[in-house]
Amino acid sequence: MTVAERTPLVEMRDINVAFGGVHAVRDVTIDLFAGEVIGLVGGNGAGKSTLMRVLSGAHPADSGEIHVNGEPVMIRNPRDAKALNIETIYQTLALADNIDAPGNLFLGRELTTRLGSLNDSSMESETRKIMGRLNPNFTRFALPVKSLSGGQRQAVAIARAVYFNARILIMDEPTAALGPAETAQVRNLIRQLKDEGIGIFLISHDIHDVFDLSDRISVMYHGRIVGTVKKDDVTIDEVLGMIILGKPPTEVTRQELAQLHG
Amino acid sequence: MVNRRFAALVGVIAVVLAACSTGGASSAPSEGGGAVDCTVGVSWNNFQQPRWAAHDEPNLKETVEAGGGTYISADANLSAEQQLTDVDTLISQGANVLILLAQDNKAILPALQKAKDAGVPVIAYDRLIEDPSILYITFDNVLVGKAQAAAVFEKVPTGNYVLIKGDPGDPNASTFLPQGWDEAGLKAKVDSGEIVLLNGPDGTFTDAWKTEKAQQNMEAIIDKAVADGTPIDAILAENDSTALGVVGALTAKSYGFPPLSGQDGDPANLNNVALGKQYVDVFKNANELGKIAGAAALELCKGTAMAGLTLPGGLIDPSVAPTAGLSAQAFTTPDGTSVQSFILQPTPLTAENLQVAIDAGQITKEDLCKGVDPATGPAACK
Amino acid sequence: MTNVADATPVGQAQPPARTSLRGLLAQTEVDLRLFGMLVALAAILLTFNILSGGKFFQPTNMITLAVQASGIAIIATGMVLVIVSRNIDLSVGSLVGVIAMTYALLMTDVMPNVLGMGADFPFRWVIALGLGIVLGALVGGLQGFIIAYIGVPSFIVTLGGLLSIRGAVWYLSNGAAVSGLDPSFQLIGGGAQGSVGGTVTWVLGIIGCAAIIWLLIGNRRQRRRFGFPLRPMWAEVLIGVVGCLTVIGVAAFANANLWPQGLAARVATEQNWGPAPEGGWQIPTGFPFPIILLIGVTLVMTWMATRRRFGRYVFAYGGNPDAAELAGINTRWTILKTYVVMGILCALAAAIASARLNGSTLDVGQSYELYVIAAAVVGGTSFAGGIGTIPGAVLGAFVMQSLAYGLSFMGVNSPGQNVVAGIVLILAVGLDTFNRRRGS
Repeated sequence: MTVAERTPLVEMRDINVAFGGVHAVRDVTIDLFAGEVIGLVGGNGAGKSTLMRVLSGAHPADSGEIHVNGEPVMIRNPRDAKALNIETIYQTLALADNIDAPGNLFLGRELTTRLGSLNDSSMESETRKIMGRLNPNFTRFALPVKSLSGGQRQAVAIARAVYFNARILIMDEPTAALGPAETAQVRNLIRQLKDEGIGIFLISHDIHDVFDLSDRISVMYHGRIVGTVKKDDVTIDEVLGMIILGKPPTEVTRQELAQLHG
Repeated sequence: MVNRRFAALVGVIAVVLAACSTGGASSAPSEGGGAVDCTVGVSWNNFQQPRWAAHDEPNLKETVEAGGGTYISADANLSAEQQLTDVDTLISQGANVLILLAQDNKAILPALQKAKDAGVPVIAYDRLIEDPSILYITFDNVLVGKAQAAAVFEKVPTGNYVLIKGDPGDPNASTFLPQGWDEAGLKAKVDSGEIVLLNGPDGTFTDAWKTEKAQQNMEAIIDKAVADGTPIDAILAENDSTALGVVGALTAKSYGFPPLSGQDGDPANLNNVALGKQYVDVFKNANELGKIAGAAALELCKGTAMAGLTLPGGLIDPSVAPTAGLSAQAFTTPDGTSVQSFILQPTPLTAENLQVAIDAGQITKEDLCKGVDPATGPAACK
Repeated sequence: MTNVADATPVGQAQPPARTSLRGLLAQTEVDLRLFGMLVALAAILLTFNILSGGKFFQPTNMITLAVQASGIAIIATGMVLVIVSRNIDLSVGSLVGVIAMTYALLMTDVMPNVLGMGADFPFRWVIALGLGIVLGALVGGLQGFIIAYIGVPSFIVTLGGLLSIRGAVWYLSNGAAVSGLDPSFQLIGGGAQGSVGGTVTWVLGIIGCAAIIWLLIGNRRQRRRFGFPLRPMWAEVLIGVVGCLTVIGVAAFANANLWPQGLAARVATEQNWGPAPEGGWQIPTGFPFPIILLIGVTLVMTWMATRRRFGRYVFAYGGNPDAAELAGINTRWTILKTYVVMGILCALAAAIASARLNGSTLDVGQSYELYVIAAAVVGGTSFAGGIGTIPGAVLGAFVMQSLAYGLSFMGVNSPGQNVVAGIVLILAVGLDTFNRRRGS
């Protein structure tokens, strides 16, 4: 069975998003299969984050369709996305700084006692378990996350996405704020999740990260998809060319390529 | 050139405004008039305050119309600007006399000038306008204080007193009412040691005359007095809203009800007088103020000069009539201007004469006697 | 570019020094801010006690102070949630005014004359209170709806509420004060007869003590079950003993307040208690009802703020509105609910205010918004959002009221009181800001 014959985990068709007069995403169609990592790349303002915000429910699309497992779905808000097991790690991390790690991990999906009160002990216990896996050095479970380091905060954000049995994971610049050791940790995690059959959209500025981790790479330019290529079929230079010139490698002229390197 | 165009524009606006506010005038001048061809124009500052509509206006109007005059009026709705237009309108409607309840005693001066130019005499009603040309008709605020203290002194000539004053920024609270207390002998009794002031020589002020604040202050004073082991024998409160707070504090502390003064004749306080929780409530009978203003306006219509203006006898209740009699008297304003005036006397209401409040329409018997045992209650509740 | 240092947890490297007082306090995990405020409150009371030659710190006076603070403190517990979620409510004073007037009119006019419920109709006070709470929830909910769903800034909406609701008070009563509430309703306002009495106060004290111990044991057991780090045993015992003694001590203090002799004698004659014992009747008042109400509100609001989803969402929204939204929280509904809670609390405060006055005037509740906001802010609530505690706000209300009452007691007039209150407000918040900056 080839990849093309399977039903994609997610398929976004003809998505359009406009902010006032700015057309941030134009007629974008993209798909993602189980156990696959798609690297989503492009310059600043290319529309990567906006496209992913549509999928995570943070911003509704103006038009277009989303299918999950082949079924058309409506994603109007983050609750809808989470109900479809779509989890997101935002570039900003989206943590409530004044609340501790367990509180953030379970934000919006708190564990409660039979009477509906917060079950802080259970939440802390679960947090200790998952953090033991993700970041064994993590010990500050009772402090507001404001007082944590960048790496620890990132760990909380990742733990939140992973804990709730994500099937589709959106990672927006997951390593931007991290040091080399933690970056390596995150890369291992991505490989591990992929092996578990989770589909991952990876947005990154780091082209090497993208090449290391992705199966396919989608390049966006001024709100459009320039092309989606298999990692094994292209070179880093060709992808950079797509990012900068906004054309697929086949359409790039020798002259343009020369200018690029000139 | 520009100035003339500007003036023209102002003129147009004034006409438009005047036309608009005419709709607000309560009645147009009637044709023919009565025996005396007299149109009395009244400019109220704020008709939302219930007192004007309930007491002042009906008596004023009735007195004017009984004398054959015509009553017209306008309401400025708390706007000093609107009041200027109102006065213009009243003059153009043919008012022969103006009665002004000024929203602002400075901002009203241009209107006063217009009246003078038109040869229309002006009565300053309840609130002073600083100008020698006016006739000032009001209640004596110093007498209010004097009546409060005199009534309480009669009951408690010597002992421990608490002074509860109103807003520290209001001259009535800080100057006129205490002046009346002193005229009744407070200062002398304090100097001679007959009266001891428990809460300092200045007493306790109450921000914005707020009832809740007066209650909190009074509770602290009671606690202090109890801690010191000194009984509170009497309380002078400047008005009814503060007196209501004092009663609240006395109730909360189960202290009993030493003689307590107030002012305004508010229904809740009159009820307290009937219940024995407040001793005296000094009441300014606005009905009489309206009558005297109406009668004075009719006299002015006849062309009588303000000085020497005398009102007919039997018009108003003698207990309220100016101490100086029914002829206008010279009154020196705080700014030193001398104006002609009728200064009415307030009425101290105690359990003995509560019927006066019912007769004046200030309160119904039902409200006055709520919770009062008819057997032991005051005469008015029997 | 290496950021390895970030990976080492900072807290572990420096365990608190055991020898210093601060270190010991840290081990008990007591909220240092609250502890500091308690110390400040004690200092204020002590100062007044010295200035008054020992006459100030007495049960009667402290109960007066507490009753005077109760209305503001009750609303302040809700204001914490509103300010934590980056909003404000300026309409509380007017809302208190309109509900107080509603209670007065219900009992003096509407119930007897319109609904046919005469003065002897059973539980009129409950019906009145219930209607007031419904009115508060509706007005609060309407304001909350405009703020959360239409998106008009809360400052504007509640400023409009401040003006228009105060105007409504005037129309309700035609500009006059209304008095004459039901005797049972008046008990909500406190006073000797509006208190629970000696026995109930002791029982409440013992229940409170037992609850503290039960919570401490339950918490420790729970943490052990999950294998979390535990507080040192000495700290547990210390907290238990201090907490228990405080609760019992407060109950004893309240019971040291006796019925005024005159009242006791009158009631004794009315109810045929027989001759007064040697030295007069010694009837303890115990806790007045407004204090009971305040304790109840504080417990419920603390529980809502810390143990319920609603409170968690309020704090999350205040910490980071985007994060709350992205976490799938229905943030609008959460904000609306904070205003409904405010409305209900205003109805309770209005019940105390009108019961104390045995009626209502046009100015009941006026400028409450200022005192309530001051109490919340002095109690450590931050206008930046996300930070604040319910007990802190209650303590803040007590700090502000102890100054007002103490100065009144000492015969200082209102301009002087206002000067002191303003300075203390700025000092308290300034000190807090300074501490936080140093701490971070």
